[in-house]
Amino acid sequence: MMRGVSKRIGSIKFACLSPDEIRRMSATKIITADTYDDDGFPIDMGLMDPHLGVIEPGLRCKTCGHKVDECPGHFGHIDLAMPVIHVGYVKEIKKLLQSTCRVCGRLLLTEDQAKEYREQMEAMEELGGDALDMRMMTKDTAKDASSRQVCPHCGAEQMKITLDKPTTFREDGHKLTPKEVRERLERTPDNDLVPLGIESASCRPEWMVLTALPVPPVTVRPSITLESGDRSEDDLTHKLVDVLRINQRLRENRDAGAPQLIVEDLWELLQYHITTYFDNQTSGIPPARHRSGRPLKTLVQRLKGKEGRFRSNLSGKRVNFSARTVISPDPLLSINEVGVPVEAARELTVPVFATKANLSILKDIVKRGVNPPGEHYLPGVNYIIRPDGRRIKVTDKNAETVAETVDVGFIIERHLMDGDIVLFNRQPSLHRMSMMAHTVRVMPGKTFRLNLCVCPPYNADFDGDEMNLHVLQSEEARVEAQILMKVQEHILSPRFGGPVIGAIHDHITGTFMLTHEDPSVEMYKSRYTKAETLSILARVPYKVLPDPMVDKKGVEYWTGKQIFSLVLPEDMRMSFKASICRKCNVCQKEKCDLDAFVKIRDGKLLYGTIDEKAIGSFKGKILDKVARDYGSERAREFLDSITRLAIGAIMIRGFTTGIDDEDIPAEATRQIEEVLREAISKVDGFVDAYRRNELEQMPGRSLEETLEVEVMKVLGRARDEAGQIAGRHLGLENAAVIMARSGARGSMLNLSQMAGCIGQQAVRGERLSRGYWKRTLPHFQKGDLGAQAKGFVINSYKSGLSPTEFFFHSMGGREGLVDTAVRTSRSGYMQRRLINALEDLKLKADGTVRNTADSVIQFKYGDDGVDPCRSVQGEAIDIDDILVEVLGDEAELLSRIEEKKVGGYATVEKDLMETEGDEEDELETDTEFEAGGEE
Amino acid sequence: MAKKDTEKALRNRGISDESIAKLLVEYATVAQVTEAGEAKLKELGLKEKEIGMLIKKSAVAKAKKAPAKKGGKRKEEESAPREHFEFEMPNKVRGTSKLEQKMRKYSEELGLDIPRSVLQSIANRIEGLDVPNESVKRIVKRSYERYLEHQMDANESAGILAAQSIGEPGTQMTMRTFHYAGVAEINVTLGLPRLIEIVDARRVPSTPMMSVYVAENIRANQEEVKRLASEIEMTSLIDIANIETDIVNMKVIVHPDPRKLEQKGIEVEQIFKELAKTRGLKGLVEMAGANITISSDVPSFKKLQNIIDDVRDRKIRGLDNIKRAILRKVGDEYVIYTEGSNLGRVLEMRGVDKTRTTTNAVQEIYEVLGVEAARNAIMEEAFRTLDEQGLNVDIRHIMLVADLMTNDGDVKAIGRHGISGRKSSVLARAAFEITAVHLLHAALTGEEDHLDGVAENIIVGQPVTLGTGAVNLEYKPVKRGQTNG
Repeated sequence: MMRGVSKRIGSIKFACLSPDEIRRMSATKIITADTYDDDGFPIDMGLMDPHLGVIEPGLRCKTCGHKVDECPGHFGHIDLAMPVIHVGYVKEIKKLLQSTCRVCGRLLLTEDQAKEYREQMEAMEELGGDALDMRMMTKDTAKDASSRQVCPHCGAEQMKITLDKPTTFREDGHKLTPKEVRERLERTPDNDLVPLGIESASCRPEWMVLTALPVPPVTVRPSITLESGDRSEDDLTHKLVDVLRINQRLRENRDAGAPQLIVEDLWELLQYHITTYFDNQTSGIPPARHRSGRPLKTLVQRLKGKEGRFRSNLSGKRVNFSARTVISPDPLLSINEVGVPVEAARELTVPVFATKANLSILKDIVKRGVNPPGEHYLPGVNYIIRPDGRRIKVTDKNAETVAETVDVGFIIERHLMDGDIVLFNRQPSLHRMSMMAHTVRVMPGKTFRLNLCVCPPYNADFDGDEMNLHVLQSEEARVEAQILMKVQEHILSPRFGGPVIGAIHDHITGTFMLTHEDPSVEMYKSRYTKAETLSILARVPYKVLPDPMVDKKGVEYWTGKQIFSLVLPEDMRMSFKASICRKCNVCQKEKCDLDAFVKIRDGKLLYGTIDEKAIGSFKGKILDKVARDYGSERAREFLDSITRLAIGAIMIRGFTTGIDDEDIPAEATRQIEEVLREAISKVDGFVDAYRRNELEQMPGRSLEETLEVEVMKVLGRARDEAGQIAGRHLGLENAAVIMARSGARGSMLNLSQMAGCIGQQAVRGERLSRGYWKRTLPHFQKGDLGAQAKGFVINSYKSGLSPTEFFFHSMGGREGLVDTAVRTSRSGYMQRRLINALEDLKLKADGTVRNTADSVIQFKYGDDGVDPCRSVQGEAIDIDDILVEVLGDEAELLSRIEEKKVGGYATVEKDLMETEGDEEDELETDTEFEAGGEE
Repeated sequence: MAKKDTEKALRNRGISDESIAKLLVEYATVAQVTEAGEAKLKELGLKEKEIGMLIKKSAVAKAKKAPAKKGGKRKEEESAPREHFEFEMPNKVRGTSKLEQKMRKYSEELGLDIPRSVLQSIANRIEGLDVPNESVKRIVKRSYERYLEHQMDANESAGILAAQSIGEPGTQMTMRTFHYAGVAEINVTLGLPRLIEIVDARRVPSTPMMSVYVAENIRANQEEVKRLASEIEMTSLIDIANIETDIVNMKVIVHPDPRKLEQKGIEVEQIFKELAKTRGLKGLVEMAGANITISSDVPSFKKLQNIIDDVRDRKIRGLDNIKRAILRKVGDEYVIYTEGSNLGRVLEMRGVDKTRTTTNAVQEIYEVLGVEAARNAIMEEAFRTLDEQGLNVDIRHIMLVADLMTNDGDVKAIGRHGISGRKSSVLARAAFEITAVHLLHAALTGEEDHLDGVAENIIVGQPVTLGTGAVNLEYKPVKRGQTNG
């Protein structure tokens, strides 16, 4: 059985290949620059020598005798006619040449000094110095050594070594051939290399000058056969051909005693080819190109960067048993579930190990074959794996017979079925809640279905978003997913200790309309007949319907609060202010005329409206409490019921919004116009004063800046005022207002921009100023500093924008778009760096946080060891709760505690409408785009 | 340094040729000589006077060199004797209420290891309420139980949690430079760029800024605070005077602007003094009525130009780098906000509240106050940046990042030049950035990767060492005839 990991790799040691080793591990020496002969067979001792491994199916490797996929490939080698410098090591070679004697090869330090440096290095290693510290240290050593002019060992005078990039060394101007370099490096004794940080056992300095070049196996550089029958070779092969060709010519010329000049030229050419073979982006030399002009992708290019081996193939891998399709909502699913289309379920399989206990069930499944008939979905099977490892494909024809053969020890790859655990993911996976475990519900259709409450953690919407699904293949994985990754375990976010999974949009509207009470408004009488009540509760699991209320006429009815109380835990008690709260100076508490003070006692909602503050994602206080105090299972139940309840409630009355929601009386329109006109004339006043130099300068600001600030202030205020006038005519019976106030969607600012006035458009926080000379558009006078000329939009979205206004509005909008584009890449990189720096930190059993080097980063995690997930909005414990628990219902005390507590709540978030002179609001509408505009 | 340079340098210091010869055999550079120490030099047979010269002179040279090296472009401060001041310790570091002490006692009695911060928050909540002792005891006990329940599990990947929690809200932040809340005059980088700046441990932030709090006795006095602000704000000559060049007489004439002088409270004599002190202008500056003339000693236009350049940006008053200082009333005290930052110098000033004054330049805090302060500054700045955008991130995550950045005793950046470049694993470093260099260097030094971290294990295809991957099950088969246990 291949499951699990039976052995672990302990460590990986890095070292340089010595020429000896290159030859020893070589399967064959390569001498011919050609690959295939005329018949299409690989040439012996050519670059495609069959000793190097096989890439064509059917053939066997001449070295190991295995077939494709079994043979790992074998290295060959090229003997270089003349030594050549390894580009990756030029800097090291230079350092070595400079810090060792040109005659005796010893390190240019006295024994004492060398010893001292060695000791320092040991000390540093002991103190936990990392690779970078070591490198710095050896650099200093080398610098010290190279500053010496006379060798302390043999007394030879040293000369100045310079490096001509990329690979030419000069000594006092004279060129040093790689051969000479190699000879010098050879002379340095092992012991002298230690202070320079070179471990001679794994890398003798002379190995940095190549005399033999390893040729990678053909499996590393497979050639592709095109449709036309032509072969297309890999970039590496092309480069090796070049190397071989020049190497051959160099050898011939040298042996024939050709003039020094020619040999040197060829030698340099060989150096060039080998340099580009390693790294085709070496600065100082032109990159080697393909015939088409495309630069070749050689060794370094294969490894580095986002598409390189490390990040693309080693840190991230492709997987089987995954699916991807569009997502769509389904409020009747549990938050833990995901709806999987039948077609996907038939492709995705779960391996099941046949035992005595499940044998007959499995046989039935196998019997059903690939496409089980019948109206209802039943899992079939795609493959079975026999105990000897053979995979047998099950087809409609052989299903019956295969089923007979199934016995204990077989593995049956059965189709996905309800209740299977899968991982569900949406990119970008910015936090751990971007990948959670769901249980499968196979359903008709072609999309993945999910409960709306899980949209916030995935940051998903349904405008065409696609998501990925992965089927777990081992029992361990399934168990881990079940316990750690299930959606219900992630309701509380580790980011801030509040709920990330919670009601959104219509769910909030639904509970709002259900629970809001205002006797003066017909629709908020909150009276539901038995039929209505039952219809709302139709899909909600509840135990007993509470006793109905009876009105004067003796008619039985239920209030929305009663209905909502059915989904609350029975002993819940809490009180807080709802989203619709106006933040009066003195809270009216239970007597609040907006019904904004929520009070729950013994699991009954007594006062208040249930809106975003209660059940919304990120903010929901009830949700927070349920998840923390009643456990994830109860929280899941609560959320599932809430979704159904809200949908039921909203369907009783129906809910819609349109542009006529922003209709305001003519009188209001007139008032708004008046306000705006006043503001504009005020602006003109400021401009005049500025022109006459009568403007009072603000400290630390120039006159122009002062003007801008004043004007922005006036216009900002005017916009707010216009919004307030409009807002006065938009009451809570208005659908758009319901959404804004309850926190379901949109803000009052959005509404005031639709009904009242859009306001000042800004780029970089300033009024628009760029465009033509001294003016924004040719529609205005040169030097016009008035409101309209610099981007103030008087109209509302509803009344429509004038051409200039439209243009200004686009300018503001464009900034928002550019901002998002820039931001995503910048924040992505920041997160990558953060993850990379912090990924190895873990909390050890002793409560310390340590890194892989086992050094302590924190003695106690977060100074108190509290898990942010389990914290109460960042606090270690819920003090109020404990007080209630310990002090009991001592009325007087508690009320005083509560007073303190409520005072502290809800002062952080600011209502945009009410913050005066906040010049940055304009972009609010434009930022709305981003969320959806991603796809 | 070549041998000849060394020789020359030594001769300049008045060392005899004989001694120089001795020294050169042993040492290559002056630095090496001075580092060798007195005893060693004595051994070589140098005269005591010479040794003294070497050591003393080099000490001076070092002192001169050091700040220039560290502070990059930072100009040398004029050598005016620094005002001596005494640092008064604040009389209370952190108030501990009686109630808190009582609770502390209870928790010790019960043997509960409950953090002080928790006790403090409970104490604050029930302070002033008449809670019987017995109940307090029970509250402490229950709190401890709850506290234990809220502990993080062992082997939790605290790092990744923190990185995600800070990185994820990054996508929701703005890119723009806003006005600082409260001080509209000063632009401060906020949002994502600021957060990146903090984790990068940039030497100088793009918009350095200080909040200077004023000592208790004068903080409510607007005039006094204003005076302090004008002392902090850097004033160059060009800000308060017109500078005229007299080419015929090879002179530079400074016309101080009386209005501006009055505004800033600067006397003409002061300008004269400052100019006279300027290097290269000694003896050239003269008072001429209300004006100041500076005549060139060499008849060269180049020299004249140099004088103008020197004079124009000559600092007359204030501290380097502080471009502007603005007063704001916060509560019932005046606070000075400055554009530009110079924490070290501001803290030296009289009348500044040393306990509350702060800057947004983390490196500066590190240099002036040390790592612990830098760690707190990183936390504070990062938290404020996120909070300002309305993003709620648990302080523990930020704390972890700050602790990691300051773990080695100095402030390291998050990135290839800081933390990531120092990882012990070759593969992890190669997977992050500059792949080839890391691999080649690893081969040279014969590095070994022990596969302890996350990235390495993913690369070789093994379970990582965090969470459930950190534990192993051990199974000892029971042999026949033996009982378990």
